[in-house]
Amino acid sequence: MEITVQKESHYVVVKAAGRLDTNTAPGFERECAACLTGSKGKIILDFSKLEYISSAGLRCILSMAKKLRANGGDLVLCSLSGFVEEVIRISGFDIFLPIFADVASAAHEN
Amino acid sequence: MIKVEHLSKQFGELTVLREVNAEIKKGEVISIIGPSGTGKSTFLRCLNLLEMPSGGRIFIDGTDILDKSADVPKLRQKMGMVFQSFNLFAHLTALENLTIGPVKLLGRSKEQAGKKAMELLKMVGLAEKAGSFPDELSGGQKQRVAIARCLAMEPEIILFDEPTSALDPTMVSEVLAVIRRLAKEGMTMAVVTHEMDFARDVSNRVFYMDEGIIYEEGPPQQIFENPQKEKTRVFINRVRSLTYHIRNQNYDLYAINGEIEHFCEKHVLPKTTRNKALLLVEELLAIFSAGQVTRQFEIDLTLSYSEKRDSLELVAESAGDYFNPFEENTLPDQLGTTIIKNLSENMEYQRVSDRNRFSMTVKKQ
Ligand SMILES: Nc1ncnc2c1ncn2[C@@H]1O[C@H](COP(=O)(O)OP(=O)(O)OP(=O)(O)O)[C@@H](O)[C@H]1O
Ligand SMILES: [Mg+2]
Repeated sequence: MEITVQKESHYVVVKAAGRLDTNTAPGFERECAACLTGSKGKIILDFSKLEYISSAGLRCILSMAKKLRANGGDLVLCSLSGFVEEVIRISGFDIFLPIFADVASAAHEN
Repeated sequence: MIKVEHLSKQFGELTVLREVNAEIKKGEVISIIGPSGTGKSTFLRCLNLLEMPSGGRIFIDGTDILDKSADVPKLRQKMGMVFQSFNLFAHLTALENLTIGPVKLLGRSKEQAGKKAMELLKMVGLAEKAGSFPDELSGGQKQRVAIARCLAMEPEIILFDEPTSALDPTMVSEVLAVIRRLAKEGMTMAVVTHEMDFARDVSNRVFYMDEGIIYEEGPPQQIFENPQKEKTRVFINRVRSLTYHIRNQNYDLYAINGEIEHFCEKHVLPKTTRNKALLLVEELLAIFSAGQVTRQFEIDLTLSYSEKRDSLELVAESAGDYFNPFEENTLPDQLGTTIIKNLSENMEYQRVSDRNRFSMTVKKQ
C-alpha cells in the first residue's frame, strides 16, 4: 500500500492507497505514529484510493483515534469508496468516527 | 447388471435423450453429472420406467425390460429410487414408511419387516426417530429415512436423483455419509449429483451428460482432472472448487488472495463478491491464528461456487482443540466476527471428527 502524508497548519492528511489488511496494517500504523507524536490537531484519513480494508486496518484506526482524542485532537475519515465504506459501516465505525465526502469538507468542519 | 443400448427419449418435439449407451456393473458406483436440462433425471426415470423410453433397449441382468413379456413390477423392484424431494408418506411414521413396501409388495410378515426396518434405521443413524412422522424430521433426516425405505425393498441397484439438492448445506454431509457407506458395502448405485467432491471420491466411473448422450465417461480422475472433450472441460472448470491447505502460522495471505481472485475470475463473480470472499478468509485466518490454542496450525479452506444456486460457499476447517470464536468472550474484540457475520449467510459451526468446521455462504448484497 502507498501512504502519503501532507501536513497543513491545523490538520494532517494521511492518504492511504491500495489495501489496508493484515499484511499492510503494521506499516500503516508506523507511518501514522510519526504524525501522532505531539499532535494535538486533527488527522484526516483520505481513503479515496483505498480499495480494501480488514479488521486489522480498523484496529489501527481505532487505536489512533483513541490516542488523538486523549490529547485533545481528533481523527476523521473522508472519501470512502464502496467496499471500504461497507466494511466501516458493518463494523459500526461510522458511529464514533466522523465521515466526510472529501478532504475539503473534513478540513473545514469544526 | 444394467445395459442400455441406443436409448432415446422425446417429449413431443423435444429430443432429450438422443442415443444413450451405457453399462453399469454390479458393485459399481456411477456419478452422473452435467449441465441442467441435459436429461440426467430423464435418463434415471427411463431406467426404472417412470418414463417410457421412445426407443432403444434396456437390459437388466440380461432381460429386456422393454419387451412386452417383461415382468415390469418385478424388475422395477430391483431398482430403488431416491429423489431430491424425499417423497415419504406423510401420514406414516418413519418405521411404517419402511415396512409398508415389504409387507404389501414383498409379502413379508409385519414382524419380519419391522425388525429389518429397525436395523436399517439404525444403519442410517435414526433408530430413535422410528416413531416420528416426516414433518418432525429435518431435511437430512427425511432423506436418510428415504434411503432406508429404499433399502427395505432389497433393491439390487439404487438410483439417486440429486439426493442432497433440496437440503440446507449443513445437512448435505450426513446424507452423503450414508451413501458413502452403501458404496463401501458394495451397493450398486447411480447418482445424479452436483456435489463434485462427492462424485470425485465415491464413484468408480463418472458419466458426463450433454447433447442427449453420455458425452464423456471415465474414472473420476479423468473426468475431473483431465477431461478429454471440450464441453466436459468447460463444465468441470465452472464447477470446480478451490481448496487451500494452510500448515503454517506464517501463511502467505497474498498467495491465498491470488488463488481466490483467480477462482472468482474464472467464475465471473462480481467484484463485491470477490472482496467479500477475500475479507471472510482474511478474518477467519486472523481469528484462527490469534486463537490457536494448540501447537499444530492446520487449516483447510474450501471455496466452491454453485452455478445452479449462484452462490459461493466457504468452508474453513481447523484441526486441534475445540474453538468457536462466535461464542462470547473467546476473542479480545468482536471486530473480526462482526465482519464475518455481516458478510455471510447461513453460518454454521460444527465439531466434526476432532476438527472445527465453519461453513457459510458469501452474502450477495
Ligand atoms: N415430463 C416431461 N414433459 C416434457 N418435457 C420434459 C419432461 N420431463 C423433462 N422434460 C424436459 O426434458 C429436458 C431434460 O430434463 P431433465 O429433468 O431430465 O434434465 P436434468 O439433466 O435432470 O436437469 P437438472 O440438472 O436441472 O435436474 C428439460 O428440457 C425438461 O424441461
Ligand atoms: Mg434433474
